[in-house]
Amino acid sequence: MNKLKATAEYVLRALKNAGADHAQCSVSSGKKEEFNIDAGEFSLLRSVFNSGVSMKVLKDGKMGQTFINSLEEQDIDAAALECVQSAEASVPDESYCIASLTENADFEDGTTHPDRDVFFDRVREFLADIGKEFPSIMVEQIIAEYTEGISVLANTNGVLYTQKNANYSVGAMYSAHNGDESTSFNSFGIDYTDPDQRIMDMGDSREMFARCEAELGMRPLEGKFEGVALFAPGCLDSMLSTVLDNFCSDSVIVEGTSPWKNAIGTKVADESFTLRVISHDDRVVCGERVTDDGYISEDFDIIKDGILQDFCLSEYAARKTGLTRAPSTSGCIGVTPGKIMLAELIDSIEKGILVCRFSGGEPATNGDFSGVAKNSFYIENGRIAHPVSETMISGNLAAMLKNVVGISEEVSCDGTCVLPYVAFGGITVSGG
Amino acid sequence: MGWFILLNDYILKYADGAAQHTEIRAQQAFNRAVTLVGGNLVSNTRTRTGGVCARVYKNGLWGFSSKGEYNEESVRAVLEAARDNALFMDRKLSLGKPPIQTAPPVQYETTLTFKDVEQKTLIDYASAVDNYIKTKYPGLASRTVSVRSGCIEKILHTDSGSFAHQLFPRTYYIISMAAETADGDTVELFDIIGGGYGSFCEFYDDPMQHTDRIDALYEELMQKKEGIFPEAGMCDCIIGSAVAGMVAHEAVGHTVEADLVLSGSVAASNLNKQVASPIVNMVDFAHTALGKPAPLPVYVDDEGTQCEDSVLIKDGILVGYMNNLESAAHFGVKPCGNARAYGFADEPIIRMRNTAVLPGKDKLEDMIASVENGYYLTRTANGQADTTGEFMFGVCMGYEIKNGKLGRALRDTTISGVAFNMLKTVDMLSDTIEWDFAGFCGKKQPMTVSMGGPAIKCKVNIGGR
Repeated sequence: MNKLKATAEYVLRALKNAGADHAQCSVSSGKKEEFNIDAGEFSLLRSVFNSGVSMKVLKDGKMGQTFINSLEEQDIDAAALECVQSAEASVPDESYCIASLTENADFEDGTTHPDRDVFFDRVREFLADIGKEFPSIMVEQIIAEYTEGISVLANTNGVLYTQKNANYSVGAMYSAHNGDESTSFNSFGIDYTDPDQRIMDMGDSREMFARCEAELGMRPLEGKFEGVALFAPGCLDSMLSTVLDNFCSDSVIVEGTSPWKNAIGTKVADESFTLRVISHDDRVVCGERVTDDGYISEDFDIIKDGILQDFCLSEYAARKTGLTRAPSTSGCIGVTPGKIMLAELIDSIEKGILVCRFSGGEPATNGDFSGVAKNSFYIENGRIAHPVSETMISGNLAAMLKNVVGISEEVSCDGTCVLPYVAFGGITVSGG
Repeated sequence: MGWFILLNDYILKYADGAAQHTEIRAQQAFNRAVTLVGGNLVSNTRTRTGGVCARVYKNGLWGFSSKGEYNEESVRAVLEAARDNALFMDRKLSLGKPPIQTAPPVQYETTLTFKDVEQKTLIDYASAVDNYIKTKYPGLASRTVSVRSGCIEKILHTDSGSFAHQLFPRTYYIISMAAETADGDTVELFDIIGGGYGSFCEFYDDPMQHTDRIDALYEELMQKKEGIFPEAGMCDCIIGSAVAGMVAHEAVGHTVEADLVLSGSVAASNLNKQVASPIVNMVDFAHTALGKPAPLPVYVDDEGTQCEDSVLIKDGILVGYMNNLESAAHFGVKPCGNARAYGFADEPIIRMRNTAVLPGKDKLEDMIASVENGYYLTRTANGQADTTGEFMFGVCMGYEIKNGKLGRALRDTTISGVAFNMLKTVDMLSDTIEWDFAGFCGKKQPMTVSMGGPAIKCKVNIGGR
C-alpha cells in the first residue's frame, strides 16, 4: 500500500508540474484468478494482473480526464501532460470540482489469501451438484473468480483514502433441456467471502435451477390482458436500475427530462415501497466505501414509504442543478421486504405473470417500457399455471411504482443487492 | 511501432516444452471521448492502455495470463503463468484430449497507420455541432453530442508460426435529441453520424458537413412527438435496413456461434435444415463484403487463423456455424477466424465480425405498397437474443402502414419473435444493404462488431403500450 501511496503522490506532483490548478487521482493494483466452464466442462484458468491510474485535473476552471494502466513514472509523466492539455482544450464550467477534504480513512473488506485448490474443488463440486440435483440443466457457462485489489484515491485538497478488498464470485448461465425442447437461458451471480461454503447452498442457486427446470413445457399465452407482474428479485434489480437511470441519474436531471425532476419530497411510489442504497449492509460483499467523486460512501434512502428522498447525482450534477450530491454512487440496492409470504402473494393474484427475466428495449424517457418476459410463468386464480414463451409485457415504470400490489417477506441476497419479490398491477401482457 | 518487434524472440526464448500450443499477444489501445450534454462538457477523457498476454493449451485445457506492462520480464511472467495455469488444470482434470489442430500458419502485416488528433479537435467539432443544433432547434428538451475516436493495435505470435500485426481504428459521433410532447412526455431519438474504420481526421473536417443528417433526425423527432403506439400482437412488418443488422447479429448470429451451439442453442438441431425462406442468405464477413471493404475488417483472428467469410444461411438453409480452433475440430470443419479477444487481458472467444443478411431484389417502395396493415420499423436502440432463437429489439422509430402507404409515426416499442420462425415468413428483401459499424457486442467481453442487412418484410410480434 505504501508503494501505491507514493505513486499517488507522484501522480499529483506530475499533474501540478504539468500545470494543473487542482488534481485528483486514483491508483490501483490487483489480481484476478478465474475458472471458466463452457458447455458444462472446465475450459480455462485465467490469471490477470491489473494496475491503473485515473487522473482528473482542473485548470482555469476547465476539466480533463485521463486513464492509463501503467504505474511507470515515464508513462505517468506523459499521461499527466496529456490530461492537462485536454483540460486546456476544454471549456470552463463552475460546476467542475474535485472532492473536498472531510475525513481521510483506510478501508479493508473481504477475504484474503485465497486457496486456488480449495476454490477449484468448490467449483467442481458446484458443477457436480448441478448435474446431480438438476439433471435437465445444461450449464452454458460458469465464470468463477477470485479478485483482490488495493487502491489509493488522493487529491490536491489533501484527500487520501486507501482501500483493500478481496472476494469470490460465481456467475452461472444455463438452460434446461428435454430432447429437442429448450428453455430460455437464465443466469445469476453470487459474491461471497467464505470459500468453505458449498456454492449450491448460497444465494438462490437451488431455487434458480429448480425454476429453470420448471420452465420446460413453456407455451405462448393467447391474447392480451391487463394484470399483475410479479417480479422475481433478480429481474426486479434490473427494472429498478432502469428506474434510477431514467428518473434519478445525472443526465436526466441535468437535462431536465426526468419525470421526477421536481418530485423530491413527493409521492412517487406506493407507501409500502422503500428503496435504499445499502453498500454497508452486512449481506453486501465488499460494498462501496468511497464514492466515484472521492467522498466516504454512506447508505441512503432514494424512496422512503413511497416518498422520493434523493436523486443519484454526482457532485458535478449537484452543483449544476443546485441539488444534493448523493451520499453513495453504489449500485447495491435494497427494497424493504413486505409482511406477506411469496406463496400468499401468488395466492392473491387473479391473473398475472411471474417475471424472472426481462428482455426489453431501452425504456422511453417517460418510463414507457415493453419487452419479452423471459423464464416466466403465467399466474391464474392464485396459482402458477404454466411457463410461458413469446410473451410480452408493457407498462410505465413511474406508474408501476405507484401500483404495488404486494411485496414478499422473503428476500434474495446475492452479495450485491437485497431484494424481495414485488408485484405491480396495471401491466399489459400480450401473447404471441 | 517498434514496441512489439521482440515478441517473436521472447516466445522462442520462454515458451515451454510442456505446452502443446502457445499464443502470445501484445496490445495497446488509445481512446478519446468527448460528450456535451445540453452544451455542458460532461466527458473529456483520454485513455491509453496496453499490455501482453499468453495462452497455453495442454490436453484439452487452457491456461491464460496477462499483465499491463510490455517488457521482457512481463512476457516471461505471462508465459510462465499461462503454462502453470494449463498444467494446474491438466493435473486436476486429466482430460487427456489430443493436441489442438492449429490452422495453417499465416503472416499478416497491416499497411494502416492511425493518425491521432488532439483532444481540442474533438471538442471544437462537438461544440460546433452542438451550437448548430442549439441555434436551429431551440425548442428541444435536450441535446447530446458525443464524439468517439480510438484505435486498438494488436501483435500476435503463435508457436505454430502465425504472425499478425493489425490495427482496428474506429471513429464516429452520435447526436441525441429529445422533445416534449403535448401531454408532457418526452420522446427521444439518436443517430450515428458519419465515421467508420479510421481516425477522426479521415472522416471529419467540417462540423457542418452532416447537417442534412441532423436536420433529418430532427424532422423524425417531430413526427415521433405526434406519434402513436402500435397495436400489440403479431403483424406484418418491414424491418428497415437500419434495423436488419439486429436480425443478423442478435436473432440469428448468436445462436450459430459454435460455443453456444455446444451449449444447446436452437441451431444445434437445425444444421442443414431449412430455417428461413429460400430468399434469405446470411454471412459473417471477414474483411470484404459484397465487393467492398467490410466496415470492421479482420484479417487474422487471435488464435492465428486467417480470416475467411463464415457462410451461415444459404438459400434459407442453415449451412454453418462460427468457430474457433476447438469447435472447428469438434465439428470437422475449417475454422474461418472467428476467435477474437477485445483487450490485452482477454482470451479469444468465438465472436462475430461483420454479420449481415444479404440484400434481395425488391424495391423498398414495392415492399411498403405490399402491406395492407402493418408497420415500417426504421430505427432500433438495442437488441437481445436467446439460445432458443427468441429475440427482442427495441424500436425507437417507425411508421404505421395502411393500405400500402406510410402513415403516422410510432412511439418507442419492442418487437420480438423466434428467429427461425420469423425468417420463414420473409417474402421480400430490399436490394440495398445498410451497415451499423459502431456497435459493441457483449459476451463475457465487449467486442467491436458491425452488422447489416436490407429491409426485410416478415411477420413479428410487436409490443404496444
